[in-house]
Amino acid sequence: MTKSKPRNNQKPVNKQMLKSFPDDMPIVDIVKATKVYPPDIVAVQNVSLAVGKGELIFLTGMSGAGKTTLLKMICCIEQPNKGVIEVAGHDLGKIKQSEIQKLRRQIGVVYQDFKILPKQTVAENIAIPMEVMYRSPKEIRKRIDELLETLRITHKRNIQTGKLSRGEQQRVAIARAAANKPPLILADEPTGNLDPEVSGYVMELFEQLNKAGSTIIIATHDESIYRKSRHRQIELQHGLFSGHISHRQLPLIDA
Amino acid sequence: MGHKTYFHIKQTGHNLRQNWPTQLMTVMTISLSVLIFSFFLLIYLNIVNAGSRLGDELRLIVYLDEEVKPEVMPMYENKIREFGEVERIEFISRTKAFERLGRQLDSEKDVLADLGPDFLPPSIEVYPVRNMRNLTRLKQFSDFLTTLPAAQKVQYGQSWLERFGYFTELLRVIVILSGVLLVMATVFMVSSTIRLTVVAKEDELEVLRLVGADNKFIQTPLLIEGVLQGFIGSGCGILLLYLIFMWTTGHLSGPGFLNMLDFSFFPPKITAIIAGTSTLLCAGGSLLSIRKYMRI
Repeated sequence: MTKSKPRNNQKPVNKQMLKSFPDDMPIVDIVKATKVYPPDIVAVQNVSLAVGKGELIFLTGMSGAGKTTLLKMICCIEQPNKGVIEVAGHDLGKIKQSEIQKLRRQIGVVYQDFKILPKQTVAENIAIPMEVMYRSPKEIRKRIDELLETLRITHKRNIQTGKLSRGEQQRVAIARAAANKPPLILADEPTGNLDPEVSGYVMELFEQLNKAGSTIIIATHDESIYRKSRHRQIELQHGLFSGHISHRQLPLIDA
Repeated sequence: MGHKTYFHIKQTGHNLRQNWPTQLMTVMTISLSVLIFSFFLLIYLNIVNAGSRLGDELRLIVYLDEEVKPEVMPMYENKIREFGEVERIEFISRTKAFERLGRQLDSEKDVLADLGPDFLPPSIEVYPVRNMRNLTRLKQFSDFLTTLPAAQKVQYGQSWLERFGYFTELLRVIVILSGVLLVMATVFMVSSTIRLTVVAKEDELEVLRLVGADNKFIQTPLLIEGVLQGFIGSGCGILLLYLIFMWTTGHLSGPGFLNMLDFSFFPPKITAIIAGTSTLLCAGGSLLSIRKYMRI
């Protein structure tokens, strides 16, 4: 299995967190995972996938292909009916509740429905994962400023997120996922509501985080963001891998 | 540690702001419950104190048919002490009783002029020790004293003591009932408020869970919220009682019931116990709600 190492010339994103994500194993290891929603809607079927440390991969496919379900299983929101999912060596089917909390602190997730708090300001929303990690207020303010600048929403800092456009809300969700510089980032349609220019800023942020050591899985059907990418692309069709892997034949174990 | 406390306090402040009308209602209910409970407790403790002070003057008077000669006095004393320990025994002759009555009548002692010094019966005054001053023991002691030689009858203000006993007993029941009210009101109100906070924060709690917040991060602010409600509520209740007490003693002072009781406010220790217990009860209510309505 090929493993991607974090680039040494980049500052590691979060040294403390990276320690719990060992180099010698895939950061995400999915073995024959199947998810069926009642009554008999097959979202993901017999899918296997290994993602090495420091990789950036695109999960592509039409709506309903199973991309979101796969991401939800990786961050312990859904449990597979069959198969095994391991994140940083932890079998998610056997993991304790307290360990799930610890693991989630090391995964930044951009949800398709954003899951931001509309009555709280942009800064307050972005601060949440850092507050959960009990970071210093000064450090939190500094990181918020960095993210707002990268995503070009500095002027919206103290505005309630409920008053923002969909595109701006999406950028807040992305900033929140990246706030802790987590070792693993899962992004579900992160450019779904953005114009090409802003999509470019978002991808720039993901590239920066990836260069600094984060492993990133982006579920998208926005061809513009992966078409020219040098990163691995995996296509899902009706809950199954299509077998189409572009650019790099990396650790996909066929379903 | 410093950052943890900062975020817990920040989150508590956020909860209080988000849900302030309910918080205010809860604090008011707790204040009222504490006020009712401590009002009755204050009356009860003052009555008990007054009873204790009056009890210091408690004595059993054994009226006799004839004077006790000095040589048989030790025999009487020994016989009385057979029942139990007494503080003091005093033999009152007819003459002494007559002189005492004269002193009590003061300027109106002329009414005794036509009466001879022998018209009052001789008596023995027995002052029981403190642990024998409950009604049952006094009754038994009184029955025992009637068996003394030449004893005519025994008096100790039985009916007054009985009424006083019943009154303090009634007050004790009221204090217990208002205590139960206090417990129920605080626990119920606080747990309901925390429940409302949990419901109002449902989306926020979901996000916190998704970003991996641990139980302490979510629960501690809710616990602090309950403790604050208890502390502020009980503080307001006691302060209100103190103001009522000051007003009452200021306006109703002078010769009367309150003066006779020598009414005083709670000592600091009892005030601290009431505030501390209410705060603990609220923390309990808060925990109850956290465990019941939050599955993390």
